[in-house]
Amino acid sequence: ISKSMQIPGSLRMMMTVKAFRTPARHGYAVETSPFVPRRLACAASQYYGIAGCGTLLVLDETETGISIVRSWEWGDGLFDVAWSETNEHVLVAGGGDGSLQLWDTANHNAPLRVAKEHTHEVYAVDWSQTRGENLVVSGSWDHTAKVWDPSLSKSLTTLRGHEGVIYSTIWSPHIPGCFASASGDGTLRVWDVKSAVCRLAVPAHKAEILSCDWCKYDQNVLVTGSVDCSVCVWDLRNIRQPVSRLLGHTYAIRRVKFSPFSKTVLASCSYDFTVRFWDYSRNQPLLDTVEHHSEFVCGLDFNLHIPNQVTHTHTHTHTHTLLILTTLSLSFSLPGI
Amino acid sequence: MQRVKTILGHLSPSYTCENTFEPRRDLSGGECGAAAAAGPEDIVVVHGLRTAIGKAKRGSFKDTTPDEMLSAVMAAVLRDVGLSPNKLGDVCVGNVLQPGAGALMARVAHFLSGFPDAVPVYTVNRQCSSGLQALFNIAGAIRTGSIDMGLACGVESMSLRSIGSPGDVSSRLMDNEKARDCIIPMGITSENVAERFGVSREKQDAFAFNSQQKASRAQKMGLFDQEIVPVTTKFVDDEGKERVVTVTRDDGIRPGTTLAGLSKLRPAFKPDGSTTAGNSSQVSDGAAAVLVGRRSAVEACGLPVLGVLRGSAVVGVPPDVMGIGPAYAIPAALELAGLTVADIDVFEINEAFASQAVYCVEKLGIPMEKVNPNGGAIALGHPLGCTGARQVVTLLNELKRRGKRAYGVVSMCIGTGMGAAAVFEYPGP
Repeated sequence: ISKSMQIPGSLRMMMTVKAFRTPARHGYAVETSPFVPRRLACAASQYYGIAGCGTLLVLDETETGISIVRSWEWGDGLFDVAWSETNEHVLVAGGGDGSLQLWDTANHNAPLRVAKEHTHEVYAVDWSQTRGENLVVSGSWDHTAKVWDPSLSKSLTTLRGHEGVIYSTIWSPHIPGCFASASGDGTLRVWDVKSAVCRLAVPAHKAEILSCDWCKYDQNVLVTGSVDCSVCVWDLRNIRQPVSRLLGHTYAIRRVKFSPFSKTVLASCSYDFTVRFWDYSRNQPLLDTVEHHSEFVCGLDFNLHIPNQVTHTHTHTHTHTLLILTTLSLSFSLPGI
Repeated sequence: MQRVKTILGHLSPSYTCENTFEPRRDLSGGECGAAAAAGPEDIVVVHGLRTAIGKAKRGSFKDTTPDEMLSAVMAAVLRDVGLSPNKLGDVCVGNVLQPGAGALMARVAHFLSGFPDAVPVYTVNRQCSSGLQALFNIAGAIRTGSIDMGLACGVESMSLRSIGSPGDVSSRLMDNEKARDCIIPMGITSENVAERFGVSREKQDAFAFNSQQKASRAQKMGLFDQEIVPVTTKFVDDEGKERVVTVTRDDGIRPGTTLAGLSKLRPAFKPDGSTTAGNSSQVSDGAAAVLVGRRSAVEACGLPVLGVLRGSAVVGVPPDVMGIGPAYAIPAALELAGLTVADIDVFEINEAFASQAVYCVEKLGIPMEKVNPNGGAIALGHPLGCTGARQVVTLLNELKRRGKRAYGVVSMCIGTGMGAAAVFEYPGP
C-alpha cells in the first residue's frame, strides 16, 4: 500500500506500509537498531499483555516486506525493548514477571542474562546514549526505577519517589547520569543517578502519564503523553505550565517520541488507533494523523539512518492475529529550495 | 488481576472525552444522594444475558426465527444461576414487529426453552422501549404481590419482519394534528429534532463515530463476552448453502468508520437533511432476557443481586419530535429514585438517531463520557423489541466491571412520542 499526501506548508509526506504478522501477539514496543539500518526489535505480548507469554522479535525491513531475523519466546508478556548502544547484537527487554533479559542475536536459545529484582512488571527499559557512559535503566510497576551496568549483573542503584507505577524511563541524550520517568501518579520526574536523587518532579497531568521522551536538540525540553488524551511539551526551566499542549487524540496516549531530525517535531500514538505527528512550534501543530489502524497503537520509533528523511515504525495490536509494522517517511523541504 | 485493572484504567471512560479532563470520582456511600437502603421489598435484577446482535437481512441471524433467539437467552439466564423455571411467576416478552407482538412466538420460545406449561408468558409492545417495558411489567407484578420472580425479555427479528402496515386507523387521524404526527416516518422525526433544536450534522457524525469507536474497543477488549449467549443456528450463505453456525459476536460494529467517511454519507430521509445511515441506529436482530425478583424471594433462593431498580418512568412527548423522550423520562425516573444526573455513573441512552441522543444528553447536561461507554445502537444495532432489555444487561455488566457501588440509567425514545427510563443501582461486589 502506498499513498502520498500533500501537507500545507513545507512538509511533504510519503507513506508506505509494510506488514508483518505474528499469530496471537500484540506489539508493545519497537526500537530501530542504532547500528543496522532497517533493523528493528519488537517486544510483543499475548492478550494485550494482560496475560500469557511474550515474544521478542528482531526484524529486517526488505524491499518487499519485513523478514524475521530472530525470535525468542518468554514466559510472560514483554513490554519494552532497547538496543545496546555499544554492541550491535545485544538488546535488553523488560517483562511482566519483573525481569530484565539481555539477549544476543547470535544466540538462538536463552538470554545471556536474566536479572530479576523488580517485584512487579517492568514496563520500560532504556540504554544510555551519552558519550563515555554505558548504563541501562528500567522502570517498573513496583514504583521504582533501577539503573544497571550493561551486563545486568546487579542493579547499581534503585530510585524511589514515584507514588504510582512507572510506565516510561528515558535517558537524557545530553546530560550524563540523568534520566526522566513518567508515572501513574501523574508526575514526570528527572533523576540524577550519581547522587541517586530525584532532581525535579513535574505534576504534568492530572491523570496517569504513560510515556515521556527528551528533545534531541534541547537538553531542557521533554514531552509527556497521558491518559487525559493530551500531549504536553515541557521546558524544565519553567515547569509551571507546559510550553505546548497538543490536543486531538481521543483516547489515552500510549507513547510519545521526539524526532531525531527536527527540534520541534514529535510523534504520538494512542489507544484511539491513530499515530499523530506534531510540530509544536507551529500555530497549527498537528502535521498529520495516520488513521489506517484498526487497533490500539502501542509502539513507535523514528528511524535514525536515512538522511533528510524520518522513518517511524509502529506496531499495532490485533486480537489473536497480527502485528503490523508501518513505515512512514516525512521529507522536509523548504519553499523555494 | 492487577495488570488488567491497570491497563483497563488507560481506557477509563472518565478520560475518553474530547480533550477535557474530569477527575475520577469515587462513589462512596456518603455522596450517593438519597440512596434507599436495601429492603426486602426491593425489585432486584439477578442476572441478564443477550444474544449477539446481527445485521438484519445480511447478518448472523438473517435466517433465524425470533423464538430461537429468545429461547436461547431465556434458557441460558436460568441455567447460569441454576434456577428452575417452575419458580417463575410470569414471563413477559417485549416485541414490536411480529403479528400481535408475537404472542404465539413467545409461547413457542417458552416451550423450546424447556419451561413447563404451568408457567405463563405474554408479550408487550411499547415500540422501542418494549424490552424495558417487559421489565417494568414484571416489576409491577412483583410489587403488587402477584408474583415473586419473573423473566423480562425482548426479541426482534428485523430480518424476517419489517416496519410495514400501520394497521387499521381511522381516516379522521388526518384531522387531528397530534394523531397525524404519529405517522411521520421516524427519520423525519429525527430531522425535526435536529432542525428545531439545532443539532448539527457534525455533532451527529461525531457522536456516531464515537459510538463505533467505543463499541469496537469494547468488542476487542472482550467486554461483551460475558453478556452474550452463543447461539447455534442455521445460516444460508451466498451460494445458497445452509450451514450451522454459532454466533458469538455483534456483527454491526465497524472499527473502520471514520469521521470523513461519515461526513460523505447522503441524508437518508430528506435531501437537505442531516440524518444518514451512518448516524442512525442499525436495523438488527437479537434477543435479551433479565431475571427479576423481589429481594426477599431472591435471597431465599440463594441468588445474587446484580442490580436494584430504584426508579422508572414513561412519559409522553410530541410525536413529531419523539426523539426527545429521554430528556423528559430520565428526570422523571431520577426524581422517583431521589437522585440527580450527577449521581449517575453510566447512562445507556438508546441511539435511535444521533440527533435525538445528542439533544437529550446536552439538554440534561450529562457529561458525554458517561453516555454509552461501550457504544450504542448506531454501532451495535437496534432490534426494536430487544433493545430495552439489552441495555439493562449492558449497563449492569458495565457497572459490575467498574467494581464499586454505583448508579446507572437506561433510557430510550419511543415512536409516536414517548420516552422511558429506569434507574438501577449496582450494589457493589
